Amino acid sequence: MTASQLPATINPVADLAGHDDRAWYVAWNPTKPILASCSADKSVRLYSYREVSSESEPSTPATSLKFSHNTTIPTGHTKTVRAIAWSPSGKTLATASFDSNIGIWEQEEGGEDEGTTGEWECMSLLEGHETECKSVAYSSTGTLLASCSRDKTVWIWEVHPDADFECMGVLMEHTQDVKCVAWHPTQEILASASYDDTIKLYLDDPSDDWYCAETLKGHDSTVWSLAWEPSEGRYLASGSDDSTIRIWRVTPQGMSDIEAECAIILEGHGKRPVQSLSWSKGIKTEDGSLGWLASAGSDGCVIVWEIKEHRSENADIKPSLSYRILAKLEGAHDVFDVNCVSWCPRRGFEDVLATAGDDGHVKVWRIAFNA
Amino acid sequence: MSAEIFNPNPTIFATTKSKTTYAKPSSLWLDESDESDEDELDGNNEREEIDQDEIFELIRSISDPEHRSMTLEQLAVVSAPQISFDSPSSSSRRNVTVEFTPTVPHCGMSTFIGLSIRVRLLRSLPNRFKVEIRVKPGSHQSENALNKQLNDKERVAAALENPALVEVLEQCLAGATA
Repeated sequence: MTASQLPATINPVADLAGHDDRAWYVAWNPTKPILASCSADKSVRLYSYREVSSESEPSTPATSLKFSHNTTIPTGHTKTVRAIAWSPSGKTLATASFDSNIGIWEQEEGGEDEGTTGEWECMSLLEGHETECKSVAYSSTGTLLASCSRDKTVWIWEVHPDADFECMGVLMEHTQDVKCVAWHPTQEILASASYDDTIKLYLDDPSDDWYCAETLKGHDSTVWSLAWEPSEGRYLASGSDDSTIRIWRVTPQGMSDIEAECAIILEGHGKRPVQSLSWSKGIKTEDGSLGWLASAGSDGCVIVWEIKEHRSENADIKPSLSYRILAKLEGAHDVFDVNCVSWCPRRGFEDVLATAGDDGHVKVWRIAFNA
Repeated sequence: MSAEIFNPNPTIFATTKSKTTYAKPSSLWLDESDESDEDELDGNNEREEIDQDEIFELIRSISDPEHRSMTLEQLAVVSAPQISFDSPSSSSRRNVTVEFTPTVPHCGMSTFIGLSIRVRLLRSLPNRFKVEIRVKPGSHQSENALNKQLNDKERVAAALENPALVEVLEQCLAGATA
């Protein structure tokens, strides 16, 4: 099926150059109109955006998005900044670096006023990992932070006031490099993905430590990326070097156990690795829709999949999943690989996504349904 | 580098002279471009494509990390027939697979050799070339682990931020020194 026959297209909104080296990751601030990106150039760049009306062209939508560079945080990390994560409040930014540290950043007071920007300061440096940090993530309430590294460990930190962090657990479950950590959207369940081809799910034992409650096996190679179904977290998507995306049904059993099984496998990136996933509620078009899953592959493509759940009237039969490709974008960053794809989480921008590429560019896109 | 010697007495092979002209008409992938004549008409594909021999030219002179006076070609670690191409349809991308043969199945330098080939090609080839590095099937006891590591872009990127490793890498890329 060619792109033109698909229900929607992915249209360019902004092309943000600026990083001097490969851009690894993009993260939308959940509360403010800010987009952050990080790079092998060791910096974090922040962009602000606003809606502008384009009355001159009545054929186009009434508003479009205008992005402008806000500030660059040099970070002080001595190696690549691989990933970044905003706290749910949007006030704190965490950086995961190949220098094996996690940085915690906040903007100085006074920067809240319109037009002025306070300096971004490093409030804390979380040391503990022995080798490159690959991913960092805040829990839905912002009270916990998870990080992972090539040292095969996953660390869980409790977030205290005044940028104070306490390590709650070091999980040594994977046998290899841990590539990604992702928190459940509503509960304190953590997922991690690894070079050992598995995904692990962790729970907190109130009377003891964090522990691995389930291991998801099925991928044939490194699992690069994870994305929870955003509304209820009943499904977890994983993207792998084996070129497939798997969607797992995750069912907590009481407080202390989790059941998980693969519900569907998506293939659309040829034989190339799936590098990044992002799952948004989307703009629901039909009942049973679980939203839009965006995937970015080493084939340079970005694909938007609409995932649907079909429940049986018989409660004993588990629901099944189906998908349709809403839109596909080839050569999102020309001949360069796409390292990250991320949906904007803010209300009114559910159809906006950003990508980061090996060309050092950050690009912003919007989904438009074809007439 | 490690003091352990993995292959103390490697076999040395005769090398060919550096080619100043490339034998385009005999290149092995010519058939493929014949099939896609229509694609050839537009823009990018019109120019002469980089072939096996040109890729080989780029990597033959890299010196062996264990025997610095010898090249990967002299030790028959790399050869032109071990280079292959495939071009995904409707894309200007071009996938190159470079296979290499460690001199002994327990060669602890294989990761490093693979990395040096990758870096040379990263620096020399246009960005649309996507390089995959693999050891020759059956030539190494940790074949799968090696292939996985050499093609993990994150690990490659991290390795290239390691100053000690990069220093040795640069020496090997500078070519064999007697």
